[in-house]
Amino acid sequence: MIDITNFLAFTIDGLARGVVFALLGLSITLVFGLGGVLNLAVGAFAVIAVIIVSLLLGLIQLPVAIILSLIVLGIFAITIDRTLLSLVYRSEGEERILLGIFVTLGLLLVLEGLLFVFFPDSYSLPLGLSAVSLGGVIIRASSLVVISLSVITFLLFFIFFSKTSLGLATKTVLQDETGAILCGVNPRRVQSLIFVLSLVCAGFAGILYSITFSVDAGSSMILTIYAIITSIVGGVTSITGTVIAGIFLGLVATYTSAYIGAYIAEVTLFLIVVIVLLIRPQQIQ
Amino acid sequence: MKFNHRRKPEWLDWERIQIISLTVVLGFIPILIFNPDLTWISRLFIMFLIFAIIATGLNIVFGHTDQLYLFLGGLLGIATYGTMITATRLDISPWLTWLPFALIVGGIGFFVSYVCARRKLTVILIAIVTLSLQLAIVEVFVGARDWTGGTTGMRYSGFELEIVQNTLGLTYHQTLFYFVFLIFVAVTVFYHWLRHSKYGFAFALIRQDEFAAASIGVNVVRFKSLAGFFGAFTIGLIGPFYGQLERLILPSMFSFTSIDVVVLIMLMIGGFRTLLGPVVGAGVLIYINEELLHGIGQWRLTIFGILLIVLFLYFRQGLVPFIGQHITRLPSIVRRISNRLRLS
Repeated sequence: MIDITNFLAFTIDGLARGVVFALLGLSITLVFGLGGVLNLAVGAFAVIAVIIVSLLLGLIQLPVAIILSLIVLGIFAITIDRTLLSLVYRSEGEERILLGIFVTLGLLLVLEGLLFVFFPDSYSLPLGLSAVSLGGVIIRASSLVVISLSVITFLLFFIFFSKTSLGLATKTVLQDETGAILCGVNPRRVQSLIFVLSLVCAGFAGILYSITFSVDAGSSMILTIYAIITSIVGGVTSITGTVIAGIFLGLVATYTSAYIGAYIAEVTLFLIVVIVLLIRPQQIQ
Repeated sequence: MKFNHRRKPEWLDWERIQIISLTVVLGFIPILIFNPDLTWISRLFIMFLIFAIIATGLNIVFGHTDQLYLFLGGLLGIATYGTMITATRLDISPWLTWLPFALIVGGIGFFVSYVCARRKLTVILIAIVTLSLQLAIVEVFVGARDWTGGTTGMRYSGFELEIVQNTLGLTYHQTLFYFVFLIFVAVTVFYHWLRHSKYGFAFALIRQDEFAAASIGVNVVRFKSLAGFFGAFTIGLIGPFYGQLERLILPSMFSFTSIDVVVLIMLMIGGFRTLLGPVVGAGVLIYINEELLHGIGQWRLTIFGILLIVLFLYFRQGLVPFIGQHITRLPSIVRRISNRLRLS
């Protein structure tokens, strides 16, 4: 017999996990949808953001620390985009995809290795909020904070892509790179902008993730994988799809880990992506 | 390749000479180098051959048919854990479960490649599917503690051959080396045969243009699945010896970074689709890892990452073709130098 109050509490936790997955997934979707580069290094950037915030936390207030760390991440993103990624974007088609995999995989290893050397501890950002009771259901206040911050971020994304001219330009490149050039959009510039946006998004996701879970250098790979899984299940080029997929996966992961077992939850996530890829590969090309 | 046409006894072509000389050189290693007081050197050479075999497996499946398998660690782990767990549960010698498990792992490769080829997955999707499988498999190794011992590890033994050891007067490591060596030679000879068989020809056609190959009657799904089988079977074959060498197996020994990344870099160093690429790459990387990174082990991951990026961007042909090109130019270089000397 499933206890209904527990179930509701798990649902809230699942949603909190789901929105973080969705943010991570967005960081993959944006870059992959835009130029065919599967950025395997996103997880490392999520961890880096958390570490920067932890280091700054003694000196300044949390919100300022978060904003500063995202700015640092943005600068980092521009540097990588101008150097490493330019080498990748030089090529086209299948070649670019392969190059993208290997270059970002290499970047992931480099960053993970550096983190292991310089920041071997594990980090988390507990907000120190107590649980709240809503109609008899005990809910972690931090989950509510994570959900509301993510919803705000999603809204900002939707506004960016539907209202601003930059967002619309991005959409044209997403649909057709050559077509965008004909409309006077410089795809490379849009790609740089989106790369920065995607890493900032990944960093923010990492910060939200670390409110509930602790992260260390080794989490880089895992966060990357969560990001890829969410993006794939959401159809890779659709932003709405990614958000829905993230919430779905977050709920699945939380329920399976609560009712069956923690490692079964991880295995389930991996198997879901395999099944989705095998059922609908044509959607994800 | 030019040598092929020049040399006449037909059976002794350039590739066969390479295999024979490699076999002779490697065969003498235990006698010349192994020393009971320095077991780590023996361990290193056995590890080198094990990785050369895994790299050959990846060479067949990724090099020849562009299926980017990122679950080599998982395949290796299934063979290693499966062989021992089944043998212990059935209370029989692991020698009896070794080949069946290699076949099972080969079957997994066949099945994965078959499904991916039927669904027409592109290289990136195959990479994601297999990477997900890799992580799921290692997660099971960690989680299914009752079977695998989880992160405390599982003791591994049963592949000792006392009879051989005693009759030939070899040490434990020498015997293990010769066993791995036998598998290595068998795999290399098989790979040599595969390259020149109708399979190798079909692989080349598929790699160049899948649609064109299909249009002239090449069964793309069948050949890709077979490549998956050959590659995975090769990896399954060596798994238990990896366990035997370490004597204690842990899930982390089969992780993405400990196997897949390493083997990819090896193959990139040696050269994709070359006969000697896997063995040259394995040799170079094991040397780098032990000699150059000695004492700075914590930088290993970072350096591997840099290697991966730099090699893939600037040196994708690999060492074997690179040296090959320069060797064919050797006579002219020698002539030029001797001319210069005569003039002066």
